[in-house]
Amino acid sequence: MMLAIYHLYPDLLNLYGDRGNIIAFRRRCEWRGIPVQVREINLGERIDFSDADFLFFGGGSDREQDLMAEDLADRKDNLRKAFEDGLVTLAICGGYQLLGRYYRTLSGQVIPGLNLLDFYTLAGTTRLIGNVAVEIPLPGRMVRVSGFENHSGQTFLGEIKPFGRVLSGHGNNGSDATEGVRYKNVFCSYMHGPLLPKNPALTDYFIQLALERRGRDGFLAPLDNGFEEAANRVMLSRLKVL
Amino acid sequence: MPLRLCAAVWAGKTVAALSRMLGYRGSSLPGHVALRIYSGTLKALARRARKGVVLVTGTNGKTTTNNMIAQVLTGAGHSVIINREGANMLPGIATAFVRGTGVNPAYAFDYAVLEVDEASFPRMVEQVKPDLVVVTNFFRDQLDRYGELDKTISFIREALRKLPRTRLVLNADDPLVAQLGRIGLKTGYFGLAPHGRVLDTSGASREARFCPLCGMNLHYSFYHYSQLGLYECTGCGFTRPDPELQGWEAVSGIEETTCRVALHGQDYRLALPTQGFYNLYNALAAFCAGSTLGLDPEMVVQNLRHYRPETGRLQHFRHHGRPLYLNLVKNPAGFNESLAILLAARGSKDVYIAINDNAADGRDISWLWDVDFELLADPNLGIARFLCSGQRAEEMAVRLKYAGVPPGRIKAEPKIENTVRDMLEGRTDAAYLLATYTALWPTEKALSALTDGK
Repeated sequence: MMLAIYHLYPDLLNLYGDRGNIIAFRRRCEWRGIPVQVREINLGERIDFSDADFLFFGGGSDREQDLMAEDLADRKDNLRKAFEDGLVTLAICGGYQLLGRYYRTLSGQVIPGLNLLDFYTLAGTTRLIGNVAVEIPLPGRMVRVSGFENHSGQTFLGEIKPFGRVLSGHGNNGSDATEGVRYKNVFCSYMHGPLLPKNPALTDYFIQLALERRGRDGFLAPLDNGFEEAANRVMLSRLKVL
Repeated sequence: MPLRLCAAVWAGKTVAALSRMLGYRGSSLPGHVALRIYSGTLKALARRARKGVVLVTGTNGKTTTNNMIAQVLTGAGHSVIINREGANMLPGIATAFVRGTGVNPAYAFDYAVLEVDEASFPRMVEQVKPDLVVVTNFFRDQLDRYGELDKTISFIREALRKLPRTRLVLNADDPLVAQLGRIGLKTGYFGLAPHGRVLDTSGASREARFCPLCGMNLHYSFYHYSQLGLYECTGCGFTRPDPELQGWEAVSGIEETTCRVALHGQDYRLALPTQGFYNLYNALAAFCAGSTLGLDPEMVVQNLRHYRPETGRLQHFRHHGRPLYLNLVKNPAGFNESLAILLAARGSKDVYIAINDNAADGRDISWLWDVDFELLADPNLGIARFLCSGQRAEEMAVRLKYAGVPPGRIKAEPKIENTVRDMLEGRTDAAYLLATYTALWPTEKALSALTDGK
């Protein structure tokens, strides 16, 4: 069995080194001998989301996000079905905002989102920028991850769980200490960094979920995470949350 | 001379002298102080340029291009004020004027040649009206500080629109730069004809995909690197302008980079005593600027032949006969060009990479994931060790590991001096040192102290 990574619109949405997330997922599969294939999906390409094992949406500038929203609008139902079916998805920043109900600009204009997840985003007057540390619940344990956020939109959650709790930084909106969203196996976050390379526990959890969705044993052989953990520790201790 | 200007210059000079005595480089503080005392300092001092003010902006190559322009001007006998240390925001530029001029207004100079940070450009030209503006290229750089590239370019475009008498020197090969030719100012273009190293595809394709004027797809016949190449818009027909100054038959060697230059029907031979293909672009920009300012092209070529790189612009050191090359890295496009140099070099080598994340480096280091480190995973390159240093040494090690470099060859040690010492103990034929802005000075300091020098 081959795990299929679908990277959505790599030409459009690749701000802040987002492709590092793809690299991390792929490498950590390869190092364990799990066959993996990366497929880059560009505008207009017809795909069935349920064929994917790991779906990645990155961030982009406004113009590029509009193009992406347009392209996805008529495939919303296919995407919704895949989400309900447990497709492992990571959406960062712009890709995150797109999955929600709407984005309201400073002038009050409401730009509808794909409305797949229950949250909305309001344009803010100041950008929320900086290193961020977040505590994320994984089965049986809490992990502390670090990243870098850079967004002006402030996201507020409806009937949906956050991805994690902010220990340092702004998170979704700078006021309620939530960071990102989790719905089934869909994970959304404002953390660039990129997120997965220096947070290997998270990456491995995603791989495990993807394997289990295909009915495979989710056990993963342990890897040496020396550099990754050291890099994460540097930032957590700088943010005084270690 | 107004009393406050007098006081500002005097105070700035005092601060400059004091910080030199205390061992600081003091590249911005004197200007800060002078501007605080008299906000019109820049405006007043820039007026003392008898022949003109030249501004160089863009993402990469500002410092080198600026220094090259200064070199060809001084070589032609002009007196020049320059902000040499890459201090390219308003206080740094004010510092250059404060240092280079006297309290006495009779103390004038021919040209001010100033590199200006892209984001500071609009505020700069409110103070100082340039006679000539040179734009090198636009790449994504440190987004956390600047906002997005599109915005930066549009601010520069709006600022230029208010300068009807300014002449432009633009890179024809970069569509993001060449679009500024549409403003209607008197414009000279420089560019590079296809050579042995052109590419059919480009890694940094995002900027290259869409026309900056109409948003339709851009079609490329070839790329030099990143979005630089021969392009044509499938929508509005915007295409690479024919450059009046064009380099061709470019060859990048280990000690020297050469090309022929066609200018007004004449053929010149340009040779630079430095590696790196991108330096040709800087030299072509300087050549084009020199020619626009009326310099004799033969003299320009002569002066560029003796160009000496500044700190961190591929500077050479030697340690027990072993050559060491130090280069500044600050964004994916520039980093990839630095990697191209070491990939082209024969022999065994150590690679040292120091990454800091202070404000001047960009606090967000995720751009490291847009650099093509995967190229370094090839085991036949003769790279013995990868030594990562700086505040984000461990993160750099992670990047290399995920690029496919065997972890056993990677070391992470945040302390720069320790890492430089470790590197100097290597037995490879050469070593390549790459550092972000604030990691550059400590690296250079350690190298100067521990090696036989340049």
